Amino acid sequence: MVQLYKKKRLEIIVEAARSRAVIEMVEKAGARGYTVVPQVSGKGNRGVRDDAHLSDVFRNVMIIVIAAEDIATRIVDQSQALLEHYAGIVVVSDVEVVRDEHF
Amino acid sequence: MNEFLQLAAGNLLSPMVLFFALGVTAGFLKSDLALPEAISKGLSLYLMLAIGFKGGGELAANGLSGTIAVALILAIVLSFSLPVIAYGLLRALGRLDVTNAAAIAAHYGSVSVVTFVAATGFLGNRGIPFEGYVVAMMALMETPAIVTGLLLARRARSADTAEPAAPRAPLFSKDVAREVFLSGSVVLLVGSFAIGWATGEKGLTIMAPAIVDPFKAVIAVFLLDMGLLVGRRLPDFRAVGLRVMAFGLYMPVIGGTIGLLAAHAIGLSPGGVTLVAVLAASASYIVVPAAMRMALPKANPAVYVTLSLAVTFPFNLIVGIPLYNAAAQFLAAM
Repeated sequence: MVQLYKKKRLEIIVEAARSRAVIEMVEKAGARGYTVVPQVSGKGNRGVRDDAHLSDVFRNVMIIVIAAEDIATRIVDQSQALLEHYAGIVVVSDVEVVRDEHF
Repeated sequence: MNEFLQLAAGNLLSPMVLFFALGVTAGFLKSDLALPEAISKGLSLYLMLAIGFKGGGELAANGLSGTIAVALILAIVLSFSLPVIAYGLLRALGRLDVTNAAAIAAHYGSVSVVTFVAATGFLGNRGIPFEGYVVAMMALMETPAIVTGLLLARRARSADTAEPAAPRAPLFSKDVAREVFLSGSVVLLVGSFAIGWATGEKGLTIMAPAIVDPFKAVIAVFLLDMGLLVGRRLPDFRAVGLRVMAFGLYMPVIGGTIGLLAAHAIGLSPGGVTLVAVLAASASYIVVPAAMRMALPKANPAVYVTLSLAVTFPFNLIVGIPLYNAAAQFLAAM
């Protein structure tokens, strides 16, 4: 059987307007990569958030990061200041990956 | 007066306005009618390209003149100064906080390209000519208002916080600057204008089948989509409040009047005067919201987008355009 390695998976749902800043922070915190889902919609404490075509202010994106625990903790700590005044959800879960050296 | 009513009624029954009304109704009733997003983005790009190219082409045909330089300066002055008036009104009559007032003010100094395009459609239907360089005025009016809005917000913030001033951050962060100057619509508008200017009459002959004849029909289709957006925003009226909603109706008249008088004073034709009034009356809902969301995150986007998109845009489309045109004809006849 292939060996699996324990990692943390971060899911950050954030306003499109703030996504660039969040991605910069994720990279600076030491993550080796990330995945962006360019448009997600749903309902939260800011009501329904849904792309309104013309202007990006009602669009959310999801940024997925898989990283070692220390890096994940750093990202979670730093995310709070970045998300002030913006729609944002940060979720952390335990996952296992196959290719340890990629994360 | 009679003439204005006739104009207004004619405008009301144009396909443009009726398709817009259809969209608003369908959106409000939560119909599943929707233009695929790629098509609606494509149509908006088409409109930018067409309006920019035609403006450039007309500038090439008529050449540069002193009036053009004055008109371009006027555009910049209007965009810088209109937000100051808007801000004062929002603070005094709208009773809004500093940040929201500054964010909204920036929208009202900037312009709505779709309103402008609809106004050229209105003039085109009546065979009223206008100066092509008004398109360049529009491009110049897009950004200065954002600077004024951010300055108003910053000045008020440093006045009411006692803490020692933090090291002065630049007014525009890199992200905001990119959003403002490299926004796809701005690049395409300015680029098409330049191409239209450079290629002149020959270029216009090549492009005419695509950008002149179908133009008015495409506006009508695009307005259907705008109507859907507006209809879906109507429930957000509650977030805006009556005082601020009223601002969305009287500010275009104030801005329009200023634009009208200024454009008449520098000697534009009635068609050109109408368009400058429309520019001064209209409020941005693409470039400025994106910039404000980054630069003034405390301001509520549900308020500023709803106000400019669902209050001021329909007002200008239905009442404003014929009103400014009637006033421009009246001024010209004096």
